[in-house]
Amino acid sequence: MLKKIDKNVYASKCPKCGHLHYPAPMRCHECKERRDPSKTVFADFEKVPLRGTCKLLTFTRVYALPDGYDLKYMNFGLVEFENGIRAAGQIMTDDLKLGMPLIAKTGVVKEVIGKDIYGLQFYPCE
Amino acid sequence: MRNVGIVGIGHIKFGKLEFELVDIMAWTALEAMKDAGIENGIDQVFVSNMGGGIINRQCGIASALVSNLNLEPAMAELVENGPASGSSAVKLGYMAIASGLANVVLVTGGETMRSLNGWQATDFVATLLHPEAEYNYGLTLPAFAGMFTRLYMEKYGLTEQHLAMISVKNHDNAALNPFAHVRLPVTLEAIYGNPDANVINPYMAEPLRIYDMCPVSDGAASLILCNMDIANRFRKKPIRIAGIGQATDTHCVHNRKDPLELTAVKGASEKAYKMAGIGPKEISFAELHDAFSILEVAESEEIGLFERGKAKNAIELGETRVTGRIPINSSGGLKAKGHPVGATGVSQIHELVKQLRREAEPGRQVKEPNYGLAINFGGHAEEN
Repeated sequence: MLKKIDKNVYASKCPKCGHLHYPAPMRCHECKERRDPSKTVFADFEKVPLRGTCKLLTFTRVYALPDGYDLKYMNFGLVEFENGIRAAGQIMTDDLKLGMPLIAKTGVVKEVIGKDIYGLQFYPCE
Repeated sequence: MRNVGIVGIGHIKFGKLEFELVDIMAWTALEAMKDAGIENGIDQVFVSNMGGGIINRQCGIASALVSNLNLEPAMAELVENGPASGSSAVKLGYMAIASGLANVVLVTGGETMRSLNGWQATDFVATLLHPEAEYNYGLTLPAFAGMFTRLYMEKYGLTEQHLAMISVKNHDNAALNPFAHVRLPVTLEAIYGNPDANVINPYMAEPLRIYDMCPVSDGAASLILCNMDIANRFRKKPIRIAGIGQATDTHCVHNRKDPLELTAVKGASEKAYKMAGIGPKEISFAELHDAFSILEVAESEEIGLFERGKAKNAIELGETRVTGRIPINSSGGLKAKGHPVGATGVSQIHELVKQLRREAEPGRQVKEPNYGLAINFGGHAEEN
């Protein structure tokens, strides 16, 4: 049976206290409720897609990239979503200013032989 | 707890070394043993190394070192804690002696990274990052340092000139250190504020430039630690470990309440100060983990040498030079002495001991050293 690739990036919501985490830990950092990804002993945390508008907290343009990125440079940033979750990711514009609003989408952030890895990419608001 | 002292130090010149990892470690261990005046009698060996399994395809390095040095049946363990592995090994050596488990401990840190090209070395160190939320994006330690620097500059008015002045200072110090990787002084005019500077000193992770970043180095360093009750058996007078502390922070940088706070640095130093019964004002000099020049600034404030946002004033006044009020990185720091990651923390303590013995080379000996402090930093301050 074919399984569709999930291209989303998720925050995880504690079912007991509602605290949001990204990335997902194995216990809630607020109330210490345990999480079970296999759902055999405990419930898994609820997946909350990370998307929509966010604010650029800081950024950099990197010229010395690690193995696997055949580019002259890349822009990276830390953002904060409206629900308070923060994340790091690739920024898809060169026109950058601290505090500017961005739109989070998912795209291929890394290509490994035979596999595309999806992650957060931030675009300017139109 | 028993008091612990350092009675032997050994170091090899950092740079590109054409020798096997365990052999360079053994070289420095023998130098430390010679310095202490011993040929055997070591109860425990702690080896700090980050990339043996990845770069050298070699595991069980601590036992290999024991065998290389014919120190059997000494207890031996490898300590891997990222670029903070060296100070972690020193801490474990301290604990082994303080607890009564051992009387004499050899701590050796080593790394051979020059067999990698620049992209591979960057990728190797980036394996410290969260695999899904950071590493997969192409994020690296220089990227996080660049983002940190932009925020710091925005908030406190630090400039690229301040960072260049740190680089000049550390290159000056390294030029006098026979163990340093880069022994070439550099002038401010060459790397800042003229059209050629953009060629000589290009951006690597804006606003950080290449002279804000440490080189990729091979190297090793060793220490002999002992129970202070038996310190008179050794050739050199002991340098007492007055205080030692460690702390961690969130794995993902974005999960920190204030991305400009290095809470693990602050927490580790507070523990060390408390154990030693002193405060920042008693510190005579410091070795700080300047893998990026901004870290020398931020760490010096987190450990209380300067108020937050004020380190730039000390840089302008030359207070952190060897001749200044509070010398920082008299060894040349990671910036110019080099940063073979597993060796760095041990090398920093080597420098503290050398300065406190007043054995540093002319021109870089700190005046009237009493207490020295080292900060060894892993990842973007996840572990210290």
